[in-house]
Amino acid sequence: MFERRLYYHIDWALLFAILALCAMGVLMIFSATAATPATSRMYVTQSYAIVLGLVAMVVTLSVDYRAFTDKSHLLYIWLLGALLYVVFFGDVQMGARRWIPIGSLNLQPSEFAKVGVALVLAKYFGENRGIPSWPDLAVAGVLTAIPLGLIAKEPDLGTAVTLVPVFMAVAYLAGIQTRILGFLVAALLVAAPVAWQFALKDYQKTRISTFLDPSQDAKGAGYQQIQARITVGSGGLQGKGFRQGTQGQLRFLPVAHNDFIFSVLAEERGFVGVVVALALYLFVIVRTLEAARLAKDRLGSYLVIGVLASFTFQVIYNITMSAGLAPVKGLTLPLMSYGGSSMIATLAAFGLVLNVRMRRFTN
Amino acid sequence: MASFGGVFWALAIVGRLVQLQVGQYDDLQAIAERQHNRTVKSAAKRGDIVDRHGRVLAMSAEADTIYAVSGEIAKADREAWIVATVTKVCAALRDCTAEERRTLVERMGRLPAFAFVRRLADRAQAARVRALNLKGIGFMPESRRFYPNGTLAAHVLGYVGTEHHGLGGIEHTYNRLIEGQSGITLVQSDAKGMVFSREEQPPTTGASLELTIDTYLQHLAERELRAGVLASRAAGGSAIVMNPRTGEILAMANEPTFDPNGYRQASEIERRNRAVQDLFEPGSTFKIVTASAALQEKVVPIDEAIDVSGGRIKIGNRVVHDDHRYNVLSFADVIVNSSNVGAIKIGFRLGTERLSEYVQRYGFGRPTSPDFPSESPGIVWDSAKWTESALASVSMGYQVGVTPLQMVTAASAVATGGELMEPRVIGAVYRDQLRYPVPPKVARRVIDVDTAATLTGIMEGVVERGTAKSAQIPGYVVAGKTGTAAKLVDGRYSKQDYNASFVGFVPSRNPALAIIVVVDSPRAGTYYGGTVSAPIFRRIAEAALRHLGVPPTLNPAPAVLVARETPAPPKVEVQPTVATGPAPTADVMPDVAGLSARDAVRTLVQHGLTPRLIGDGFVIGQTPQAGTALHAGADCRLVLGRLHARREPESTARP
Repeated sequence: MFERRLYYHIDWALLFAILALCAMGVLMIFSATAATPATSRMYVTQSYAIVLGLVAMVVTLSVDYRAFTDKSHLLYIWLLGALLYVVFFGDVQMGARRWIPIGSLNLQPSEFAKVGVALVLAKYFGENRGIPSWPDLAVAGVLTAIPLGLIAKEPDLGTAVTLVPVFMAVAYLAGIQTRILGFLVAALLVAAPVAWQFALKDYQKTRISTFLDPSQDAKGAGYQQIQARITVGSGGLQGKGFRQGTQGQLRFLPVAHNDFIFSVLAEERGFVGVVVALALYLFVIVRTLEAARLAKDRLGSYLVIGVLASFTFQVIYNITMSAGLAPVKGLTLPLMSYGGSSMIATLAAFGLVLNVRMRRFTN
Repeated sequence: MASFGGVFWALAIVGRLVQLQVGQYDDLQAIAERQHNRTVKSAAKRGDIVDRHGRVLAMSAEADTIYAVSGEIAKADREAWIVATVTKVCAALRDCTAEERRTLVERMGRLPAFAFVRRLADRAQAARVRALNLKGIGFMPESRRFYPNGTLAAHVLGYVGTEHHGLGGIEHTYNRLIEGQSGITLVQSDAKGMVFSREEQPPTTGASLELTIDTYLQHLAERELRAGVLASRAAGGSAIVMNPRTGEILAMANEPTFDPNGYRQASEIERRNRAVQDLFEPGSTFKIVTASAALQEKVVPIDEAIDVSGGRIKIGNRVVHDDHRYNVLSFADVIVNSSNVGAIKIGFRLGTERLSEYVQRYGFGRPTSPDFPSESPGIVWDSAKWTESALASVSMGYQVGVTPLQMVTAASAVATGGELMEPRVIGAVYRDQLRYPVPPKVARRVIDVDTAATLTGIMEGVVERGTAKSAQIPGYVVAGKTGTAAKLVDGRYSKQDYNASFVGFVPSRNPALAIIVVVDSPRAGTYYGGTVSAPIFRRIAEAALRHLGVPPTLNPAPAVLVARETPAPPKVEVQPTVATGPAPTADVMPDVAGLSARDAVRTLVQHGLTPRLIGDGFVIGQTPQAGTALHAGADCRLVLGRLHARREPESTARP
């Protein structure tokens, strides 16, 4: 199953960049949370998640990716089952039903939905030779929309939205006509105000409106955005030093270990640290794109692009938000933010990316 | 295309980071600091003020300020904690009012939670609160100002307000120097208002000042001025004793006066330093200026006879009279007998230009000393606006407003041979245990030595055979000039209220002292400078010469008698002072025997006592006795004396 020579084709550089980002994440989580007794063990949990994620990565790496795509319909059904279970019986934390408690762990199926959808769409478009027709797109759309709807129902709009780029990227690569793509984008733009009116909850609306003018609600919804700006700016060029950040550690910046981990990095490591992290993320993205280009079959490139789409979307959105350039949304920064399910799912997904690249010469 | 978009995005983010982390760094950094740091200042211990011999005039004793930091208590328990703490602390303080309790509960509930519970608590109270060992309650030392001599030199010293700011006198002028650097308590709290660190940077003590004031002479001047003011039933008065060679002010007394320990009870009139703040029309003492100008400019030969026309002169439609009628007076006798008509005629010969120049040179019309920022500059009209009538008035000391300090400084210039010294009251500054003396400063030369000598001769005549015979001191030659000026009341010269003044220096040819005495509105029959102020001058000067050991001018006495005595113990008649310790305390009198006066006072102040000092040196007796229970404002006296090593005869037998 795992031939020895495949070992030499593993993309060690990509793997190294991923692990470097994970390590930075653990350090920042430690810095942001260790001072508070209730959260002081978070960095340990995150380290366990990384180990588990690496185990998952070994699994997704070892087995030929075609074996996964072959079974992707089964994985997809499992996924829907888990999501349904969450919607009805999930654990409620902070006003949302997102978790399945397994022993001392809390599993968040929505994080795995990204890989699941990437797999199933890769299989669907990969088997479908030629330019996708309208019905093809409709089927793929439904395949994406079902988990999306379930996740949005939890509610976890941020994670739900990350499925959209997966669909768009894979469909684009599969050769969808530019005209149709344009139509889809237009449809999304039209849907936005309708969604504003009907689909968005009040807290979601205030988030967007306060983004446009944070000072209108400095103690409420605009608070996070103002604090994010202060956090990033007060880091300066050099940063305040490891565990010296006041904004993150004194909890002026909410969920510093999670959504705003990048701001904590900017505070403690300054401009220099941020540029290093940014370069690592860009490297990961470019290297993954290359893996998609090098893939020996369409199936492989679709899979890699599907994984990359949600990853890139989250990275770009989170960093833009941390820099105070986008409305505050509960979107984590993959590889760095605190979150076990996200870490395991992301590492597993990159296992698939490595898988595709290293099997580019095998049949 | 995708990678192009990625690079574009990365550049945008980097640009934004540069904007925030470089461009707005200072602002955002400051905001971040403000969010979690709160600093509370605690005033430093003020430096002492001592007289020229090191005797303490003003000192600071430490007292504890109690504060509360409710942010150290978990939010859930805070409410209960505040109520419990306020109850306990108030029980320990024993003198909380209901109002105080209420505001305390309210202040402690506010975030970020730092509140003063009691500032400058006395020692017993602080000890009781400390014994409770309460969570979230802290102490920081602050200082309390204390003037052990009560009213002595009150106007020179000034006083200190609750915020440790000097509000008058030297305390105000040199506040920056004396106050030291305040300590800082840094309270750091997180976003929820939980306090996680409290750091204290202790304050540093301010510099000590050594004044040129001599406690003994100060006391003497105050005593004699008060006696003179009471005897003449006057509204008030000022006396300044100066060393004319250096400009050092040895004493500056005002009546009425106040006790800086309880300055709040004093009225504004009592707190005024008349000697530098109040203007008066000097009258005849100002003829010193007129005569100086005439002699220096040689407009009148010293032996010229001046026709004083029977003591009457008409200027326009105004008539000026002399008190004593003469027909012809020599130039010297015009001054000696204080003839207004003579002075006016001399003034006319000088003319506006020259007289005004000498008025300026003597320093009238502008402040004389940097040590008194509240000093009045005086009023001198612009010479271009002087009419003939104004020239006549200025010649005899009217239509000018001067302060006693300006007048005595002018007389000192004559005494020292024509050099005007800048008057000052700071002798030296002690900082970091080093003494920085303030050197004497010559402001300018006013007249020649010859002119000064001639003028001194004339002023000797004033005391010897003129208007100030009552200023004579056996054994010393005194030079001086009297002044009796009608006060302006509602725009008219009063026939009843006068400023009686005398300014002089002694010994006239080797001056050790220049003294001015101004008495405001004497009402006991006589109102002349020569009868009201000159005797006060004499009494101050006589005792001061003895105190300083100045050898007599004539018939020098045997050396034994002039040998300088150890300064007589200043019999400080301390007025009953207002007790500054607020609270009734079940405290006991400490044993202060053998301590220096300073240490003893420091100890007693912390017990809320304001001791009276009798004698000087070390404590040899005290009432109440050590161990006696104290009550607030208890009467406390310390008898001081020079300790001699007392040793019990050794009775140990040899084995």
